[in-house]
Amino acid sequence: MATITSEPVAGPRPLALRDAVARWLDREAVFSWLMMALPLLFLFALVGYPFVYGIWLSLENRPVAQAGTFVGLGNFIEDARDPVFWQVARNTFIYTGAATVLKMIGGLALALVINQSFRMKNFVRAALLLPFIVPTVLSTVAWMWMLDPAFSVVNWMLVHMGIASRGPSWLGNPALAMASIIMINTWRGLPFYGITLLAGLQTIPQDLHEAAAIDGAGSWTRFWHITLPLLKPVILIVTVFSVIFTFADFQLVYVLTHGGPANATQLFATYAFDIAMSGGQLGRGASVALAMLPILGLLIIGLTTYMRSHE
Amino acid sequence: MVLSGGASSTSRRQVLKAAAAGAAASIIGVPRSHAATKSLTLIHESSFIKTFDAYFQNTLAPAYEKLTGVKVSYELASVGSLQTRVTTIAETGSGADLTLNFFNWPFLYDEKYLDVSDIAESVGSQQGGWYEPAKEACVVNGKWKAIPFGNVGQLMNWRMDWFNEVGFDKFPDTWDELLEAGTKLKAKGHPFGFELGHGFGDNHGWLYPLLWSYGGHEVEPDGKTIVLDSDETARAVDFARKFFQQTMLEDVLGWTDVNNNKAWLSEQISCTNNAESILWVAKRDFPDIAKVTGQAQNPQGPKGRFHTLNSWSHSIFTHTPDHEAAKAFLRWLCDKQQLGAWYAAADTYYQPFLHGYDEAPMWNVEPRNLPFRDALATAHLPGWPAPVSRAQSEVIAKYVVIDMFAKACAGAPTKEVIANAVAQLKQIYSQT
Repeated sequence: MATITSEPVAGPRPLALRDAVARWLDREAVFSWLMMALPLLFLFALVGYPFVYGIWLSLENRPVAQAGTFVGLGNFIEDARDPVFWQVARNTFIYTGAATVLKMIGGLALALVINQSFRMKNFVRAALLLPFIVPTVLSTVAWMWMLDPAFSVVNWMLVHMGIASRGPSWLGNPALAMASIIMINTWRGLPFYGITLLAGLQTIPQDLHEAAAIDGAGSWTRFWHITLPLLKPVILIVTVFSVIFTFADFQLVYVLTHGGPANATQLFATYAFDIAMSGGQLGRGASVALAMLPILGLLIIGLTTYMRSHE
Repeated sequence: MVLSGGASSTSRRQVLKAAAAGAAASIIGVPRSHAATKSLTLIHESSFIKTFDAYFQNTLAPAYEKLTGVKVSYELASVGSLQTRVTTIAETGSGADLTLNFFNWPFLYDEKYLDVSDIAESVGSQQGGWYEPAKEACVVNGKWKAIPFGNVGQLMNWRMDWFNEVGFDKFPDTWDELLEAGTKLKAKGHPFGFELGHGFGDNHGWLYPLLWSYGGHEVEPDGKTIVLDSDETARAVDFARKFFQQTMLEDVLGWTDVNNNKAWLSEQISCTNNAESILWVAKRDFPDIAKVTGQAQNPQGPKGRFHTLNSWSHSIFTHTPDHEAAKAFLRWLCDKQQLGAWYAAADTYYQPFLHGYDEAPMWNVEPRNLPFRDALATAHLPGWPAPVSRAQSEVIAKYVVIDMFAKACAGAPTKEVIANAVAQLKQIYSQT
């Protein structure tokens, strides 16, 4: 009779452990968290930490290069007492509102045009992205020359076309200065709208348009009852993004007018920078910058609610 | 270090502890006090005068390295970005060892700068003594927190040929005479162009001196009492409005610092307020314009003649690992041999704060620059006669005084613009 001797088995234990780990890793909840861990860490380090630090700064009296003292909402109360703060708030709303509406209408028109078939369609689509691709500072310097009283090509055209005897002071007149920055922001942001809405347009089935056309719907009716409703979610998303970018705009104003003349083009971001950096009041600067937060927060909540209601 | 079992020797555990501490120190950047300093970094803003930066990079830095073995890196920040860099360095405690300062920065960054009184006093005593305005910008609570370098004076640039055509063979001595000249010149198609927008120098350069020359001030020397709402301020504002309407282009309301240079070099304006750089660039690129470019001190008003202090100075950060090495370099840099040559490399663009250079040969190179030297005696920081303060910095950052004038020039009533400015001043000064 053969005797079976039991010998210690070396392999199974680590194999079992490995299997257990593999099975654990295979679980969707674990795997998805593992995949998200690095981006989350990245997000926390580069966005979360500065954001939380910014909030903390806004609650401190924190002169540059000195220790801060906690003042609670003191900085925000001071902001409310600052007459320029309210002018800045008004400017930012006008700038964001006007530029967003112009970009939305212009971008939709642009998308509808480039959605048609024509020669060199792809080249035109790519070329339209140029204002969005060129660094803002660079394009703003070009605009600075174009609006310069001595060298303005815009004024040159107005004078030579007989529209004006002398070109207007684009950056010296408070109302024109605001109109100028709105115009430049629109020029820069239009391609973002155009290309994004074009992508949305291309997802609309052609069958719907054909069926409507057979039923006798004209192009305006088809646009109003097919294109626009189906494009609405894309318009909403792109508008929210655009509002966020425009609301927090800095470079264009900083380079072109630095908030002048007499704060007529001063926005939250440029005003916050001046107070924090030039004025050396980091806490106050942070509080001005954070004044944007509730408005942008409401926008994001609104978007999320809308998206969920349409899921 | 000895590794043995003796009572006085270092144990293995202590060595490990020391090694760990050393490694940690190297990671978190704690200074290695015993290591010989091999390099220093001085951060500067790019100069409008290219030979100035080139002289440091090509002559001064190599000379110091040859003399001491210490390599000095000259890090350049783009125009307008130095304060952001200095703030980052001061806040994080890492980066350059020495920095250039403008205006009142020695006060703003006081706690992050070394006391360099010993160097300032010895340099002053060896080179003729400091101009008083240098102390206004660099002495904080009785200590020198920076070594004054020079002033970038903001004076009047005028087209001598065009002024001559309307009967002025020399620059007008008073604001009223300048108004008269400007009115005639604008009628002849040669308007004035003085910045009224949100730049960082050319607006302060004439508006603060205008206010002071009429006797107006923002705050009393006690640093608390706001006195901007006065008859003197009202007269200065009224004059500015008239001066703008009768002599200037509307565009100046939105100008930043580059605009008047462009307008001057394209012969759009006949008078402006700027640093020496206009003449310097004209001589290099537009010799015909340079020939007819004159420079003069600001006109005087009922209470005298004033200029803005645009102080350049150098400080050492407290975080620099080897304080003595940084001080030794600054002391060497401020030695007459180095300092004089560096000033000369910039054609007096930086007017020395030391009386020892009042008659230096560099002033003979371009006699039209002499008013910049003479203007130093009447130069003050914006906010004068109040002492330097954080509130003053905020007032400048918010363009309170500049916008008071700009709004008046755009048509707002004098009382209203002064009331608005006073409301801002009260709000700012109440926090400090």
